[in-house]
Amino acid sequence: MEALVASAIGILFAAGVYLLLRGRTFPVALGLTFLSYGVNLMIFVAGGMLLDAPPIIGSGETYTDPLPQALVLTAIVIGFGMIAFFLALAVAAHGDLGTDHVDGREQGR
Amino acid sequence: MNHWIIAPIALPFATALLTMLPMGLTAQRVISLGSALLLAVISIGLIGLAGGEADVYALGAWPAPYGIVLVLDRLSAMMVALTAFCGLAALMHAVSGWDARGRDFHPLFQFQLAGLCGAFLTGDLFNLFVFFELMLIASYCLLQHGAGASRRAAGIQYVVLNLTGSTLFLVAVALIYGALGTLNLADLAVKVSAIEPHQVPAVRAAALILMVVFALKAAILPLYFWLPSTYGAAAAPVAAIFVVLSKVGVYAILRLHGMVFGADAGALAHAADAWLLPAALATVAIGGIGALGASTLRELSGYLAIGSSGLVLVSASLGTPEGMQAGQFYLLHSVISVSALFLLADAISAFRGDDGDRIVRARAIEKPMFYGILYFLIAIAAAGLPPLAGFMGKAMVLSAAVHAPGTGWVFAVVLIASLLNLLALARAGIQIFWHCAGEAAIPSRESWRKGVSAAAFLTAVTVALAVAAGPVARYAGYSAAQQASAYEYGGELLRKGMQVNR
Amino acid sequence: MSFADIALPVIVALPFVGAVLPALTARASANVIAWAAAAVPLAILALLAPMLPEVFAGNAPRVSFAWLPALGLNVSLRLDGLAMLFALLIPAIGLLIILYARYYLSASDPMGRFFVALLLFMGAMMGIVLSDNLLLLVVFWELTSLTSFLLIGYWSDRTDSREGARMALAVTGTGGLALLGGALLLGHIAGTYEISEILGMGELIRSSDLYLPALLLILAGAFTKSAQFPFHFWLPAAMAAPTPVSAYLHSATMVKAGLFLVARLHPALAGSDAWFFLVGGFGLVTLVFGAYAAMFKHDLKGLLAYSTISHLGLIMLLLGMGTELAAVAAVFHIINHATFKASLFMAAGIIDHETGSRDMRRLGGLWKFMPYTAVLAIIAAASMAGVPLLNGFLSKEMFFAEALHVQKLGAVGWILPLAATAAGVFSVAYSVRFIHDVFFHGEPKNLPKKPHEPPRWMRIPVELLVAICLLVGILPQMTVRPMLDVAAGAVLGSPAPAYSLAIWHGFNLPLLMSVVALAGGTAVYFSLQKLYRLHLHEGGPWTGHRIFHELHTWLLRSSAAANARLANGSLQRYVAVLVSVSLVVGFAAFAEPIDPHQAVLMPLTAPAAAGWMVLLVATAVVVAKHRDRFTALVATGAVGLMVSAIFAYFSAPDLALTQLVVETASVILLVLVLRFLPQRSPLETLPRKRMRDIGLAALAGLGTGAAAWWLLTRPHASISDYFLANSAPLGGGTNVVNVILVDFRGFDTLGEVTVLALAALGVVAMLGAGVAPREGASAARRSVMLSKSAQILLPAAMLTALYIFLRGHNLPGGGFIAGLVAGASGVLLYVANGIAWSETRIRFAYRSLIGGGLGIAFLTGAGSWLFGMPFLTSTYDYAHLPVIGKVPLASAVAFDLGIFLTVVGVVMLMLSTLGRFSGDGGKQWKPS
Repeated sequence: MEALVASAIGILFAAGVYLLLRGRTFPVALGLTFLSYGVNLMIFVAGGMLLDAPPIIGSGETYTDPLPQALVLTAIVIGFGMIAFFLALAVAAHGDLGTDHVDGREQGR
Repeated sequence: MNHWIIAPIALPFATALLTMLPMGLTAQRVISLGSALLLAVISIGLIGLAGGEADVYALGAWPAPYGIVLVLDRLSAMMVALTAFCGLAALMHAVSGWDARGRDFHPLFQFQLAGLCGAFLTGDLFNLFVFFELMLIASYCLLQHGAGASRRAAGIQYVVLNLTGSTLFLVAVALIYGALGTLNLADLAVKVSAIEPHQVPAVRAAALILMVVFALKAAILPLYFWLPSTYGAAAAPVAAIFVVLSKVGVYAILRLHGMVFGADAGALAHAADAWLLPAALATVAIGGIGALGASTLRELSGYLAIGSSGLVLVSASLGTPEGMQAGQFYLLHSVISVSALFLLADAISAFRGDDGDRIVRARAIEKPMFYGILYFLIAIAAAGLPPLAGFMGKAMVLSAAVHAPGTGWVFAVVLIASLLNLLALARAGIQIFWHCAGEAAIPSRESWRKGVSAAAFLTAVTVALAVAAGPVARYAGYSAAQQASAYEYGGELLRKGMQVNR
Repeated sequence: MSFADIALPVIVALPFVGAVLPALTARASANVIAWAAAAVPLAILALLAPMLPEVFAGNAPRVSFAWLPALGLNVSLRLDGLAMLFALLIPAIGLLIILYARYYLSASDPMGRFFVALLLFMGAMMGIVLSDNLLLLVVFWELTSLTSFLLIGYWSDRTDSREGARMALAVTGTGGLALLGGALLLGHIAGTYEISEILGMGELIRSSDLYLPALLLILAGAFTKSAQFPFHFWLPAAMAAPTPVSAYLHSATMVKAGLFLVARLHPALAGSDAWFFLVGGFGLVTLVFGAYAAMFKHDLKGLLAYSTISHLGLIMLLLGMGTELAAVAAVFHIINHATFKASLFMAAGIIDHETGSRDMRRLGGLWKFMPYTAVLAIIAAASMAGVPLLNGFLSKEMFFAEALHVQKLGAVGWILPLAATAAGVFSVAYSVRFIHDVFFHGEPKNLPKKPHEPPRWMRIPVELLVAICLLVGILPQMTVRPMLDVAAGAVLGSPAPAYSLAIWHGFNLPLLMSVVALAGGTAVYFSLQKLYRLHLHEGGPWTGHRIFHELHTWLLRSSAAANARLANGSLQRYVAVLVSVSLVVGFAAFAEPIDPHQAVLMPLTAPAAAGWMVLLVATAVVVAKHRDRFTALVATGAVGLMVSAIFAYFSAPDLALTQLVVETASVILLVLVLRFLPQRSPLETLPRKRMRDIGLAALAGLGTGAAAWWLLTRPHASISDYFLANSAPLGGGTNVVNVILVDFRGFDTLGEVTVLALAALGVVAMLGAGVAPREGASAARRSVMLSKSAQILLPAAMLTALYIFLRGHNLPGGGFIAGLVAGASGVLLYVANGIAWSETRIRFAYRSLIGGGLGIAFLTGAGSWLFGMPFLTSTYDYAHLPVIGKVPLASAVAFDLGIFLTVVGVVMLMLSTLGRFSGDGGKQWKPS
């Protein structure tokens, strides 16, 4: 099971990095999304993984580490805000520059 | 526990919320400037407060290491004061017209200040991340202030790189929390000093990745590429405060370096020096070369900012209290002088029509005497020439390097880079003030005088720094000593943090 | 508190403070400005006078106070013999220069500016010579470079002035930086920067292994400043300055600073072979080279410039010899050169001023027009040539004598006298040329002006200096002897040796050398005129000037090129670098083998495997089809759902919920955005680049996967037990995650929603100014189905949101999730019905919602101050307030309410802003 999750994280990061290295704003935005998926899971697993042990007092006798979950929640929110901003910027840039290339100009120009 | 410690965060935050209320620009300016002034005053008070031993502010009255704490020590107080003063100057400049060129300048700017002060004050790794993000989103927005294609293009790159950096930050957080199970920096320092072998790789990886993140912010080679274009595109007051922004990275490295890689760090002691010194030296070199090759005064200033980050880290990587002291002294000076140069560049470009601040033969400057003297002083400061503090800082760094490994390299690179800066600033000055063609243009902004008052203000601060060099250096010296013994220091902070009763 | 304690600091400060006088009087008449400026050197001399007897008595008044103890930089000033010599020369000649400049400068030249710069420079020089702290000396040293830059570039509209100023600054500035390095090393050897202490440590210093680097760096400073070959070229270029500046900088001040430094540190550094060969060698070469080159200069000031270089070399050589008498001779020649060279420059200036030309090929026969000036110039030139009865002769005799007595060279010892004589010959030659070519040698050739004598007052300074040349030349014993003794004593660090200052020492080798020089020089000059046709001589192409210029331009061009190549504006490159660096450090950290650790692994379950497959496939689709953007978008949504599923599966209900709603909001966002971005990405990455990217991606996946594996298989201990234990009793909630968010780490949450709020403000700032809302036909068509579902969904969604919010503190949920749900469903209306429809129905100021929400959250936190508790301290019965009475409500919930409102506002604002001009696919975009 651990291998499964670890590999999933690796896959998400790999995809994220690859998309991040694309030349257009939209795939880059997707790449950033993937990176945040990956890193959120990574923080999450930093507290160890348990089945049926939600950190809600009284729900059971064992609880998973709640702190990473709180951190991830914060991270998710921030990530959302950032990507939203980036998308809006991408739109504005496309409008002002006439291209959606990340360098603000078509290549070879 | 002293409530003033949180003031540098709470005050700008509240001001930002206040200026979000529907009101006229004038009202916004009054509130914003007043608040910035108050912040500057408070920051001086905090420096006095930090004169003794460090103090801890436990948010929500939750004891460390469980709750989030703010730490006021000499270094953080110094950085807060630096932020306050540069912020004040940037605002003085902004109210001369820049703040009218887009929405929400004042709320954004105040949030920027809050984010900066938070990053400097927090004693919690994840909270540091949060304040980084706050400071960054504010900077993303401010970079777009005034719109324009060049800002869009620069913005895309700036945002993508920093979001990548944020991801790396979180990777490091995960590794550190997974290995040591805590987020409180002081607690980390204590835990690191007693680190177990099997934890070493993860913590080392985390710490080095954090180094990369901070190096990106500080624009250390090879991660500096974004800075010249970003700062060049930003509105002048924004660029001025961005100079402080880049030093957050430097500050974080100083902290991390002292804490995780310091002498007390057991298996990790000095693990980063091998990486840091060469990179820092290369950065100093790039600062020199880049400044000489710059085509506009603001691009030049950008490379000066890069070089100063490099020099501070050179001194930090010497691994001695003397080095730390020299670095902090130089940091203080360089930020102020480079910010001043950004503001002056903007004031000058108002006269030169379409040529703006390009380093070419162009229209003359009105009041050349006044602007000339101002430029002369700022250039001397920025190039690190006597009698201003930059020279002293540089000399202190070199002096600290004499008995360190690689003295020859440090001397050669630092001195040659200073020479290149001298040439660059001389060239710019000659082109702008001596090699003129035609009459001065009517200032494009009606109130350019207000614009230059900010640069003059910062120049006065640099001069004051040089005059008061003795006390300032002593302060930096104590601060360095505070950082030097991470273990005791961390323990002390932790004890303070635990003495919280609800 | 002695007189010196006050006088010395005042003397140094005076010029800098006094510099405001000419600035203030800048609008007044020339005389007023000149007097204002002259007041400063006069005051300096007045302040010096009372201290002179003490110094002549062999004492050295000293004052010192700390400036930057951490560095060892103190304001230490000391007036010993050597310092006194210069401290008198600088203001005295400065005074004459001011008088001279008053008449030299034309009405069009801003005189105020000139004198301001001159006084600043004077102050810097005074600082150098009086400093008793090595670092303080460096400070003033660099100040002379900076201020001389202003002086040389005074006529800033002239290209040659700008170039000359730039060159002087570059060369002497470089030297200054080298000097700084040397000073720091020397200070570390000696353990102090106080010069008077350092001078006593000669042995210690010379035996240190830092001695050689220190010496080299310090000499680099001295040689550049004193224009020693090959750093000499800035000096002729500096001739573009107004003549008073040249007369000042190149006679008594700027260029003498280097000699002063060498003399100053003589006791500490001299005596080694390195010293002898470096100082002596550079001096010798410069002496001969300068003298030779001077003969071929057609420009009067050019000739004087090279002669200056040669004389500087002569003095440097004397200091290098290291013998006692050589030191005496050096000091003596410093004085003599100052007098005759200053007067010659002024004379040249007069000629230039009254004829309009300095070209000796056009001048000539001026004797008829300005005989008086001619006499003065001829005497001064004769002194320069070393003619008996003039001061130049005496010091040159001493020099010849010393040249004969140097043992160090052994077998090749004859080189020194030979070179000395040769230099003597040349210097006579160019002196003769100066006299003959200007005042005789036919008629003036088409000069711009008709030559005539200068105004009375312009001659006075020259007369005074020439008088001194004569006096010293005839009565040395009575005039300079005392000064010479104390100054030489200071250079040697011991009482001056016995020596005779007579004009006549009987027939001896030095006399013979002088005779040879005088006769030979005259012969050389006339043969040059007759045989070589001197006036047709053209300089070679590769002057130092030219080389510097080429180098400078090359430096500029290549650094500009470097900038362009390094920061080439390619984000893909930047990101690749960032990723690579992170990978390098990451892998390096994990380099050593990790101890094998047996963790108890969870068994694999079917649903998990299935989810993993889905995630893998969806990711693969995104990567493979990322250029088909809509497909990629949908697949990304699927991945997000899988992530949410993972959270749910491993006991993180809050995360699962959050991820779910965020995912929904993101997808809506992406859809809206995609409406006016290109639908496809072009295929543009080169295969090689794509390979690189795949490699980086693979490594990143490998690294993070490994890290995750490491995290999952390590024993883990954390601070979280505290939260589990105290969440209910102290935080008043059973949902620990939520309690952490709103209480234990509420500060994070406050920051987090602020980030969100700022993002929203940013979106509006960028796009709010977009095109006016229009009912795009396409939009209407697209949303028929949606609008129906929206009308059903909205109320349900709102109720859900309320429910989620209320239960949040004890069960999964909370303000943030609730806010997202409410916000997203509100947005559904936009998407469904388009802007106009919605805005008529929902009159909502999202901004104030955001501000209000943040306000509530902030005030909840600030409220605890009223109770003397730190920010964000939560409590149960917060409301012990008089009016409301006891409200059984955790303050954290109020905080959470703030979060809720903010999030609602943010989501609606963001999505509606984007939705707003999704109407027309952004075609009507107005570039800002």
